[in-house]
Amino acid sequence: MEESDADALALARAGDSEGFRVLVERHSRALFRLAYRMTGNEHDAEDVVQEAFLRAYRRLHQYDERARFSSWLHRIAANCAYDLLRVRRRRDEDPWPEGPDAAAAEFPSTEPAPDRLVLSAEVKQRLSVAMSRMSAQEKAAFVLRHFEGMSIAEIGEALELEASATKQSVLRAVRKVRQVLAPAMGLAQ
Amino acid sequence: MTGDAGRHPSADDLVLYHYGEADDRELLEAHLGGCAACRAELGRVRVALAAVPSDEPPDRGADYGARVWERLQPRLDVPGAARPRRPFALRRVLLPVALAASLVLAFLLGRHYPRPGGEATSGPVRERILLVAVGDHLERSQVVLLELLNADPKATLDVSAEQRSAEDLLSANRLYRLAAARTGEPGVARVLEELERVLVEVANGPSELGPEETLALRRRIESQGVLFKVRVVGSQIRERQREAAQGPRKIEL
Repeated sequence: MEESDADALALARAGDSEGFRVLVERHSRALFRLAYRMTGNEHDAEDVVQEAFLRAYRRLHQYDERARFSSWLHRIAANCAYDLLRVRRRRDEDPWPEGPDAAAAEFPSTEPAPDRLVLSAEVKQRLSVAMSRMSAQEKAAFVLRHFEGMSIAEIGEALELEASATKQSVLRAVRKVRQVLAPAMGLAQ
Repeated sequence: MTGDAGRHPSADDLVLYHYGEADDRELLEAHLGGCAACRAELGRVRVALAAVPSDEPPDRGADYGARVWERLQPRLDVPGAARPRRPFALRRVLLPVALAASLVLAFLLGRHYPRPGGEATSGPVRERILLVAVGDHLERSQVVLLELLNADPKATLDVSAEQRSAEDLLSANRLYRLAAARTGEPGVARVLEELERVLVEVANGPSELGPEETLALRRRIESQGVLFKVRVVGSQIRERQREAAQGPRKIEL
């Protein structure tokens, strides 16, 4: 655990709100970045940050000091964001049709764009579509693996999923990303 | 990829390899070393994933943490929000139990084995000490009951902190109930018995309560009027402490 976190945490655990305030002020921005990437909008991300700190406060006695405090906090935030995603989209079936042709059919053009900016914009647009078609579980697992660099074991712990389910979620998400990006980037699968 | 360097890995295997999560990394690397097609496929995986934009979320500003705290702090103070455990919690919790045990033991020993000569160190003094201890015990019990009664019934509630408090109070409660019954305080003993049932339920129940369970527990506490009775006995005890010098008075409920 970071030394400075240890001091603040000791205070917080002793019931001193000043200690918890230090932790909140120190970790809020990182938690917002994680929450924003998972939820995709500022308002939801703000709510996730609040809920994550509230849960962390209530579970301070459960924190194991062998782990980094920031990692523990991130797992709680990821779980909050996942809960929110599940509420936002109760969709159990896989809505994304298999095959690159189906993905490409969503877009007006599959020709490689000459301008890199146009290509970048198209990639963003396609990725946005891929993310919107992911289930809550896939999206959460992908964001945590790809952007946050968490291991599959850590993601499983954060989202309370079995390792095999976590791994499959990441893989399904990557398949969807590749399906939509391949035509724009000239990457045949 | 399953233990055969000659077999082509699947796209999923290559994705896991890219993320450093492949189960049989060495075997896969051995295959990639000799297979141009799989190296090309791995290249496509890497290009696609590298293209995933890593746009930074909107910056919240340097004072963001302070704003989060401003919004969060009132929620930490609401009744029902579990308080963090203090590092000296064990000592804080064991102290009442140890005190209860020693008081009850001293009280009972004093009753059964009076000092030679029959000095008046016994009755009134011991009773007064016991009253103070029971009064403190009832106040701590009130805190636990209030936290449960004031919890947000719409949310899943983590009651692990209250549960531990209930477990600790339970040990002391049994000793005080025994002492109250033996010293001719049936009113106190009866309330402690009712309190004990609630404490047992909290201590042995789940550490997380869903909305329905929270409401059910709340209804049971309210229907039995336990909190009210604990308050009444607590205030009568305080009153008796003030009147202790003027002579004994039993508590009736």
